Amino acid sequence: MEDHRPRVIIIDDEKGLRIGTQRLLQSENFEVDTAENGMTGIKMATDFEYDLAIIDLKMPDIDGISVLKEIKKAHPNTICFIATAYASYDTAIEATKLGAFTYIPKPFTPEELLRNLNAGYERRLLTLESERLKREREERLLELAFEKSRLNTIVNSLADGVFVVNKNGELVLFNPAAIKYIELNEIILGEKILGILPKKISELLRKILDNPDFENKTLSAEVELKPDRELVVEIKCSPVPHPDGSLAGVVTVIRNITEMKKVEYVKSQFVSMVAHELKTPMAAVLGFFNIILNPDLKTTPEQQTDYLNRSRNRLQGLVEMVNDLLDISRMEMKTKQRELKELNIGEIVKGTVDFLELEWKKKGISVTSKYEDNLPVFKADNNEITRLFTNIIGNAIKYNKDNGTIDVQVYTNKNYIVTKISDTGIGMRPEDKARLFSEFFRVKNEYTRNISGTGLGLSIVKRIAESYSGKIEVESEYTKGSTFTIYLPFTK
Amino acid sequence: MTDTENKPKKVLLVDDDYDLLEQNKMLLESKGYKVVTADSVDSAWKIFKEENPDAAVLDLIMEEHDSGFILAHRIKRDAYGKTIPVFLLTSATMVTGMKFGVTTGEEKEWINCDAWFNKPINIDELSTKLEECFETRKM
Repeated sequence: MEDHRPRVIIIDDEKGLRIGTQRLLQSENFEVDTAENGMTGIKMATDFEYDLAIIDLKMPDIDGISVLKEIKKAHPNTICFIATAYASYDTAIEATKLGAFTYIPKPFTPEELLRNLNAGYERRLLTLESERLKREREERLLELAFEKSRLNTIVNSLADGVFVVNKNGELVLFNPAAIKYIELNEIILGEKILGILPKKISELLRKILDNPDFENKTLSAEVELKPDRELVVEIKCSPVPHPDGSLAGVVTVIRNITEMKKVEYVKSQFVSMVAHELKTPMAAVLGFFNIILNPDLKTTPEQQTDYLNRSRNRLQGLVEMVNDLLDISRMEMKTKQRELKELNIGEIVKGTVDFLELEWKKKGISVTSKYEDNLPVFKADNNEITRLFTNIIGNAIKYNKDNGTIDVQVYTNKNYIVTKISDTGIGMRPEDKARLFSEFFRVKNEYTRNISGTGLGLSIVKRIAESYSGKIEVESEYTKGSTFTIYLPFTK
Repeated sequence: MTDTENKPKKVLLVDDDYDLLEQNKMLLESKGYKVVTADSVDSAWKIFKEENPDAAVLDLIMEEHDSGFILAHRIKRDAYGKTIPVFLLTSATMVTGMKFGVTTGEEKEWINCDAWFNKPINIDELSTKLEECFETRKM
């Protein structure tokens, strides 16, 4: 602003004064316009905002007070001077009331005029600057208010609970999720809340609040807010420092980790089950070796051979179990690369029955089968589907009675290719049937004691069938036999 | 057996793994015990009531993960059963890192047995502990 030359308009009907003043001011580095009557003056000084206006009070067309009013209405910050020889005290007061900066009596000396104009110009600069500052401040406040409400909206929309306490333990900020997790119905800002928080959370807060040499470290803990893994949360408390580094308060974030904990629990259950299933056969093998090697027991060569054979069977079982576990793990991680091909389920089932011929013939089992003609193709991984039917037909042989029968049927029913495999084996009790597809579950009774297995076969079958949006059903009668029906959907 | 009585002590051995059942039966018999066996909680309870064994050695994980605990509990609640030593066998310790013991008060309250053994058992340790228990009960 200072760089600009002040712009002045002289509104006066007296030509000599107009020109004289103009010359004087131009020599003093003012930029000067003139108007020879009131109406022209109004037009010019309202169209353009002058810094300063010198207005003659008495003009033929319109009086100076009216000109002043119009200019002030359009540009309140134009500094106006009323100049006249016919001044009266009253006119001077009226002019200043209407916004004239001051009143200049005519005739005036150049010094008088310049002193007044400079003072007026300084006032204008100050007014403009203060208005600019005011505007800026208002803009900033608006921004701040907007920012604050935006931040509030964000904090309130968080799924994680957030609350902040000051160093006295008084609540200064919270969001709805925090209230939901810690179940505080009536919570008031400014209230001391450490006493009403769950114990583990308040302990964590105290650790920071009660420690004058708090480090800028986040403390965290897992808290079971509802027992039996119904609601488990992770609490993270971080100190909030003042700019000088001293403790202002603590911000606490509460995150729901219930699902994660449930998965973790199932996983650890599975791991301990696997550990047990692996350890038992190893213990049996080790036990046999200890017996053979123990001189006090004096085992016969026949006994030793028997124990070695049984050890070998247990180790063979272990290898099968590890393979099954690896398959399950691959299926879980979906890393197994599937080779999808158009398969004929009938051919696969028939191929599996043929492949296992030696096994069923050894037990004197007879197999009857019926395959529907022109079965629709099923798009799947050959290895997986073969594995599915090998497990089912393998069980039908393993758990069958000597000289029993197996009946195999493959047909279509609505949208499914249905494979029905019935055996005349040992069947199962309803309580065993209910757990049939659980990992490591094996029916244990007098009939099964000599049948080896990993307890994973049917679990794998179920996983494969379900991964192709299929399903498996079992009917069984204890001591009479079982029927497994596999439904695989096909697209017409 | 160091016991002055001539009659051999009778041990109820329960395990659902037939190899381990046979091995442990043989080992216990080698130490002079008479062994009666069962492969499930229900059959074990039946044999326990019929045979009145002098001690019970139970596998922890059979049909259920806590079958051994349940059976031990039932025996310890029985008027006769509470007078005999009950041992539990587990394969859990080594692989899972889980540690069992009956040293703290809490463990004694929840785990109703006199001792734990890892599978496969060391028969010398087990029979020494059995004899200790028999001695304590005589006093």
